[in-house]
Amino acid sequence: SVTEIRSGFTAIKANIQARDPVRTLSILSYPHSLHKVQSSGRCCIAHNLFNFYVDKVFKHCKTEDSYINRKISSIANSFLSMKRKLGQCHEENKCMCGQESTEKFKQILANYEGLNVTSAAIKSLGELDILLDWMEKSR
Amino acid sequence: SGELSCSLPNPRNVHFESVNMKNVLRWSAPEGTGGEVLYKVKYLVYGVGKWIRKPECRNINRTWCDLSSETSDYEEQYYASVKAFLNGMCSDWIETTRFNPLTDTKIDPPMVSVSSTERSISITLTAPEKWRSPEGESVSLLQVYPGLQYNVSVLNKKTKKRWFFSVSNNTLIVPRLEPGTAYCVSAEIYVTTPLLHSGFSKEYCIATLKDK
Repeated sequence: SVTEIRSGFTAIKANIQARDPVRTLSILSYPHSLHKVQSSGRCCIAHNLFNFYVDKVFKHCKTEDSYINRKISSIANSFLSMKRKLGQCHEENKCMCGQESTEKFKQILANYEGLNVTSAAIKSLGELDILLDWMEKSR
Repeated sequence: SGELSCSLPNPRNVHFESVNMKNVLRWSAPEGTGGEVLYKVKYLVYGVGKWIRKPECRNINRTWCDLSSETSDYEEQYYASVKAFLNGMCSDWIETTRFNPLTDTKIDPPMVSVSSTERSISITLTAPEKWRSPEGESVSLLQVYPGLQYNVSVLNKKTKKRWFFSVSNNTLIVPRLEPGTAYCVSAEIYVTTPLLHSGFSKEYCIATLKDK
């Protein structure tokens, strides 16, 4: 659940964010905050972002710290189960992707591809609270 | 050439101290120095391209700087940084960790008001306001944290029996109490995600009316 992801992230937030030296770039918030996405596009963005984290981010987040790695894999497992739930909404056509949300997700991918894969993955992981704050606010 | 040499020890423990989203940058003087050191402050919205100087905190000798209005958008995250100057020397810029006002603020306990009848107590709870600038609009933390709840404790002063209640709305009536008895109430705010606790308020005591 979101609460499990939140507590797992809180435990590693300082460590992961300290590994990201780039202050002036954001994967999720550039150029516009997730909060600017219209409500109609939220399910689509959430669905795409869960796939993004599972397929692209977690696998590139290995660290030398076994405690951190364990926390990352438990967050990844929570993401997998939430990804399945959102997948069902997508299959039942309750998760339409309009132009705005499609553009927003394209921008997120472009921000990600603009960095080398390890830096991009660590930065994305360090921005998990941006995703969680947005999801909780949109509930 | 008047060029500063940055060999001054660095400011220490540079961090945001935040209560109800009043966000104050604080730090300690460099090792071995005191009140004679001057400081400069800058801040940055995470993911946005430039650091911004805070003019009101330029060449100050205090060790704090109120950045509440610069960090009032709690949908953004921030960094701040401090540099020290003394006798023609300077330190490095020393940064905070990434500051998320939504998760990194402390919340004050709610205001509690109580009234009583012969056999019940009525409790009204008010969540604190988010910090705002003088001309800013009043925003309750209830609007910031939709999942905000109250934990309420009611103590019978005579029997020392205590009840706990968890409520989402801001009023609570405790029925079936003893007439002419003193009860003390305290309350805390509790947010599930992100996980935040205010800690309990002080106790507000009231006596139920005597039986007619």
